[in-house]
Amino acid sequence: MEFRHRNYRAEEEAHALPRSRAVTHPLSSQSSPLHKVDVVDDEKIDFYDPLRGASADAIDVEDLQNDASTTGLFSADAIQVQAKEWTSFKRLLMQRFSSSKMVSVATTSDVIVKSGKAFQKSSSMHLQELDDPQKFAEEGVKVITWQEYVSRLHELKDEISRAWRAEDRVTSLKLSIKVARLLMDTSVLQFYPTLFVLATDVMDMLGDMVWERIKRKAEFAEDGTPICSLSESFEASDICFDAKETCNNWFCKIGSIRELLPRIYLELAMLPCCRFLHDQPINNLNRLVMMTRGVADPLASSYCRLYMVHCAQKLPTCDRGYLISCISDIKILLMRMISEKEATHGNSSANKRLLVSLMEPTIEYIMKCIFKDAYQRQVGDILVKLGLGRNESELFGKFPFVSIILHHLLKELPTEVVSSNATEILHLIESCNDYSFDQCLNYRLLGFRLGERGSQMDMINAIIDKVIQVVAQFNCLDEYLKVVDAYVDIVLQNQMDNYLDAILEGVSKRACNKEIDESELGSLQSIFSKLLAHFNNLEDIFALNHFVEILDVMYGSSRNIINMHILNIATRNGYIHDPATIRLLLEISQSLHDGIDLFNMKDNDSQQTARLISRFVQMVDYGIEMEHHLTFLVECRGAFSNIEELKETLVHSCNCLAIKAMKEAKKHISFVKSCIAFSEVTIPSISACHKQLNLYLETAEVALVCGLVSHSDGLIDSALGCLQTLDLMDGFQILIDVDGILSLIRKLCSLLVMVPGNPEQGATFIPKSILSLVSSQSWITPKMRARISCAIISLSATLSQNKLPYHVDNIEILGNDLLFFGDSTYLQDLVSLSDFVLKELCNVIQQEPSQAARGSMALEACNCIASSFKVSPELSPICSKLMETAQLCLSSNNKYLQSTMKLLGERLPSFPAAPSIIIR
Amino acid sequence: MSIEIKLFRPNRIYFPAEPLEGKIILKSPSSISHYGIRLTLDGSVNRQVRGGSAGAIEALYGAVKPIRIVNKSVEIRPAGKIGSGTTEIPFSVIPRQQGDDRFYETFHGANISIQYLVTVDVMRGYLYKSLSATMEFIIESDKANLLEPPVPPEMVIFYITQDTQRHPLLPELRSGGFRVTGKVSSQCSLLDPISGELIVEASAVPIHSIDLQLHRVESILVGEKIVTESSLIQTTQIADGDVCRRVTIPIYVILPRLLTCPTVLAGPFSIEFKISIVITFESELAKLHPKSDPKTPRLWLAMETIPLELIRTK
Repeated sequence: MEFRHRNYRAEEEAHALPRSRAVTHPLSSQSSPLHKVDVVDDEKIDFYDPLRGASADAIDVEDLQNDASTTGLFSADAIQVQAKEWTSFKRLLMQRFSSSKMVSVATTSDVIVKSGKAFQKSSSMHLQELDDPQKFAEEGVKVITWQEYVSRLHELKDEISRAWRAEDRVTSLKLSIKVARLLMDTSVLQFYPTLFVLATDVMDMLGDMVWERIKRKAEFAEDGTPICSLSESFEASDICFDAKETCNNWFCKIGSIRELLPRIYLELAMLPCCRFLHDQPINNLNRLVMMTRGVADPLASSYCRLYMVHCAQKLPTCDRGYLISCISDIKILLMRMISEKEATHGNSSANKRLLVSLMEPTIEYIMKCIFKDAYQRQVGDILVKLGLGRNESELFGKFPFVSIILHHLLKELPTEVVSSNATEILHLIESCNDYSFDQCLNYRLLGFRLGERGSQMDMINAIIDKVIQVVAQFNCLDEYLKVVDAYVDIVLQNQMDNYLDAILEGVSKRACNKEIDESELGSLQSIFSKLLAHFNNLEDIFALNHFVEILDVMYGSSRNIINMHILNIATRNGYIHDPATIRLLLEISQSLHDGIDLFNMKDNDSQQTARLISRFVQMVDYGIEMEHHLTFLVECRGAFSNIEELKETLVHSCNCLAIKAMKEAKKHISFVKSCIAFSEVTIPSISACHKQLNLYLETAEVALVCGLVSHSDGLIDSALGCLQTLDLMDGFQILIDVDGILSLIRKLCSLLVMVPGNPEQGATFIPKSILSLVSSQSWITPKMRARISCAIISLSATLSQNKLPYHVDNIEILGNDLLFFGDSTYLQDLVSLSDFVLKELCNVIQQEPSQAARGSMALEACNCIASSFKVSPELSPICSKLMETAQLCLSSNNKYLQSTMKLLGERLPSFPAAPSIIIR
Repeated sequence: MSIEIKLFRPNRIYFPAEPLEGKIILKSPSSISHYGIRLTLDGSVNRQVRGGSAGAIEALYGAVKPIRIVNKSVEIRPAGKIGSGTTEIPFSVIPRQQGDDRFYETFHGANISIQYLVTVDVMRGYLYKSLSATMEFIIESDKANLLEPPVPPEMVIFYITQDTQRHPLLPELRSGGFRVTGKVSSQCSLLDPISGELIVEASAVPIHSIDLQLHRVESILVGEKIVTESSLIQTTQIADGDVCRRVTIPIYVILPRLLTCPTVLAGPFSIEFKISIVITFESELAKLHPKSDPKTPRLWLAMETIPLELIRTK
C-alpha cells in the first residue's frame, strides 16, 4: 500500500472555476430597472393597501361627514359603530371601578333586597368594608355584596324581558322604573359606575323593545297585514294613528313617574321613539338636558348626562349644542363643589377626589363626542360656547374654568388649535388650579399635545420658558418630572440646549439625596429614553451635565432598561476607544449583570442583556494599549462570571489580541504568552463541551501562529481531554450536537496538517489518540466513526506528501514535510496507521443499521481510498466490497454512486467491478 | 254562550257628533232565537259627597242623584234567530241627540265621575236569562267647538320666599331666607304638558326636593250648599336635591289622561284644577315624618298654589 502523490497547486489550478471580476456588489442597493417594471405591474393588480387608501380618500371622507351632518342622513353602520364603542366604554368603566366591597342598600328599594339574603344590621359585618359606614349606621339599610347586587340586576333584566314576552308590558315598565330608581342612590360611590352600566343596559333593552313594538304597529295592522315599510329616515307623517297613540301612551306613562331622575332615564331610553310623534326629537333632547339640571347630585347628574349622550347618538341629527350644555352644566356643578367649604358638606377631601374621579369618565366621553369629526372652523365656536372666549378671534381669555374639564378639553382639541393657542392655553392652565385635577398633569398634557407637530420657534420658546419657570417652583420631584418629561422632546427637537441644562439641573437638584419612588422612576426612564434616542452618540450624552449623576439615583428595571439603551448605542457605532467611556460602560454592564436573575437565565431579557454585554466587550478596542485591553478582559472575566456567552467572547477577543500583538512586533511574545494563558484558563469555565473544544482548537491555532508549539500541543491535548469527558459531561443533556462534534474533529485533523510532529511521541501520536478515543466512546455512532476514519486516512495521506498543501503563517515553524523529509520510519508510521484505520473503516460500515446511510458511507470510503492511495492489488478487493455494499444499499441511478464509479474507473483501471456495473 | 262589544277605535275616544262604531260579537254553540237586540248609550254625571266641606248629614246621605247627559236606545236587530258559532253584528250610533245642550268630557274624579257606557241587550223572553254586555267609551269635546291653542300659552310668574308663606316655618328657614322664582302655565291645553321654569335664587338651608303637585277641585251643589273638595292627582319632581343656584330648571308635566278634563263650571257641579309648587327643605324633623299628607303645610315646606285652567284645544 502506498500513498498517492499529489501536487496540490496543480490540482487547485486544474479544478478552480474560471473567475471574472464583478463591477457591482450583487447585494448593493442600486436597483436594476427591471425591478421597477415589476413594481408598476404590481400596482395594476387590484390590490387594496389600507394605508394608502385612507390617505387618498381623506378628503372624500371629510366631505361625506359634512354631508351627513348637514342633510341629516344617518346609516345603520354608524349606529352599529356607536353601539360597539359604547359596549367597550361600558366594559372599561366597570373595570376601572371594580372592587369586591359591600354595598349598602336602602330597604325601601325592595327590588334588590327581595329575599332574605341581605345582612341585617345586627350581623357581624365589618363596617370598614363599606364605602359609607355612616349610612350603614342609619336605620333601614341593608348590606349585600357587589356580586349579589349585580346578579340581582341581571335577574331583574331577565324578569323584564320575560314579562314583555308574556305581553305583560305594564310589569316590564314597572320593574324598569324600579331599576331606574336605583340610580338615585349615589351613596354606593365606587359601585355607581357598575350600577350605571347594568341599569342602562335594562333601559336600553326596554327602549329597544318599545321602539320595535311601535315600529311594528306602524308597519303592520293588528291582523298582520302590512301598512307600510319604514325607511331609516322616516318622518312622523308616515306613522299611522294607532302607532302614534301607543307611543303617546308610553310617554304618558313615563311622565307620571314622580321622581325626576328615573323619569329622565326612561324618557331617554324612549328618546328614539319621539320620531314616531314628531320630526324634531332634538327639542325633547334639549328639554331633557335642561331637566337634568334639577338633579343636584353631581355623580347622578353627570352619569345621567352620559346616558343622554349615548341615547342622543341614536337620533339621526344632532348638533353639538346639547353636548356643550352638558359639559357646561357639569362645569357649574364642579365649580360649586370646589368652592364649597369642607365643613358645609361634611365631605372629606379624599371623598371629594373620589367623587371627581368617578365623574371623570363622563366628562371624558362627552368631550370626545363634542370633538368627534369637528372641523377646525367649528372648534372656535365650540370653545366660545364652552365659555372660553367672547368671540372666535379671542379665545381662552380670563375665564374661570375647572381643571379636570380643561384636561379633557385639551386632550381632544385638534393639534392645530393647540399649537396656535398654546400661550393662551398655558395661561388657562395656570389659572386652573383646583383639586379636581392635578395641575401638573395639564402642563404635561400641553407638552405632549405641542409635541405632536412642529410649531413656531418663538412661540415654543415662550412656552418652554414659561413652563421652566413654573416647574422651578415645584418642590415635588414627581410633579417636576411629569411636566418636564412632556417637554423634553420639544426641547431636544428645537436644540434648546440651555433649557435642557436647566431641566437636568432641576432634576438633579430634586432627585439626589432622595429616595426615588416607582412613578418617579418611570418618568426618569421616559426622559432618559428620549435623551438617548435623540443623541445617538455616547460622548454627547455623557457630556450632558448631571446625566451620570441622575443615572446613579435610578435603580431596578428602569435603570436596567436605560443601561441597556446606553449599551445599545455604545456598541452600535463601531469600536469604543475612550478609556473613560469604557470605564463607565463597564460599570453600567456590571450593574446590568448584577440585575440578571440567575434562575431565569433563559428568559428573553436576561439573554438580551448578556448579548449586549458581550457585544460591548467585543467592541472595546484599546488600540496599541494592548496590556490595558488584556487587563480589561481579565476584569470582565471576574465581573461577568454568570454570562456563559461572554466567556466565549473573552476568549475570542483575547485570541484576536494575541494575533494583533504578534503582527505588531516580535518582542511582544511574553504578552502573547499571557494572552494564550488567559484563554487557556478561561476555556474550562465554559460549561458546553463543544464550545470548549472549538475554543481550544482556535487557541491552539493562534498559539501555533505565534510560534508557541508546546502551548499549541498542550491545547490540542486539552481538546482531546475535553472530548474524552464529553460523554460524562453531556450525559444528562438531551441533545448532543453529534454533527458539530464531528466537524470539530475534522477541523482538528486539518489543523494537525500544520502542527509539527513531536519527535519524542512520534508524528502519528495525536491521530492515534483520536482513534483510541473514538473507539472507546460509546456515544460515537458508526457513521461518525467512519467519517473520522476517512478524515484520518486523508490526514495521513496529506502528511506523507513532499510538500504540504498549507503551512503555518510563521516562518519559524517548520512543517512536517520539512521536519521528516525522506524519513522512512515516518512514512512507515503513516502507512501502518492508514492500514489499521482502513480495516476499521470496513468493519464500521457493515455495522451501520440504516441501509441508505451504509451505502453513502461505503461510497465516501471509496472516494477517500481512491484519492489517498495509489492503485494496488491489496486495495482492489476492499474497493469492490465497498462498491458491492453501496450497490446493494442504493439505487443504481443514485448520482453519488455513479460519480464514484466513474472515479474508480479512472483511478483503478484494474477495478473489475466497474464495467459490469456500468453495463447493468 | 258569550257576548262582547268591540269598538273600532282601540283608544275608545269619540266625539259626541260622530258615530260610535263597533261590533257585537256573539258566540254560541247552538242557534238561539230572541225578541230583538238593543243597543243603549248612557252618559251621566255621578256625584258623591264624601267628607270635604260636606256636613255630617250630607255625608250620610251620600250619593246625589246623577245628572243624565244622554240616554239613547236603538234596536239593532228585530226579533229573530241567530245561528250557532260566532256572529258579528256591526253597529253605528251617534251619541248626540237633537237638542242636547251639553256634553261633558269623560272624567273620573274623587267625588265626581262623568262616564259614558254602551250596553247591548239580547231580549229572550222571561224563560231565558237575557244576554248583555257593557263597555265604557270616552267622550272628548267636538273638534268644531274647540278653541285654537293659546299662543303663547298663558303663564303666571310666581315667587316663593319665607315671607309668602302663611304657615309656620322652621326658624332657620325664617332667618336664613330663601327665594325661588319662576313661571308656570295658568291655562293649559290637555294635550300639552304643564310648562314653565323655576330658578332657585337663594336658600340658606339646603333644598331636599322641589315638586309640582296637580290638584283637582270638585264642587257639588247639595241642596243649597256647595260642597268643595280638592284632592291630589299627581306629584312630579322638578328638582332633586340641593340644586345649583341661579340655574334655570324647566317645568314639564304631562297631564294624566282620564284623571283630567277641561275645567267645567256647570250649575250643579264644577271641576277645577290647581297646581302647587312645593319646596321641601332638608330637615331632621322631616325624617321623623316620612309619610305625611302632602297637602298639609309643614314647617319644612314652602309652597305656592296657582289655579290652572285646563282646556281642550284642536
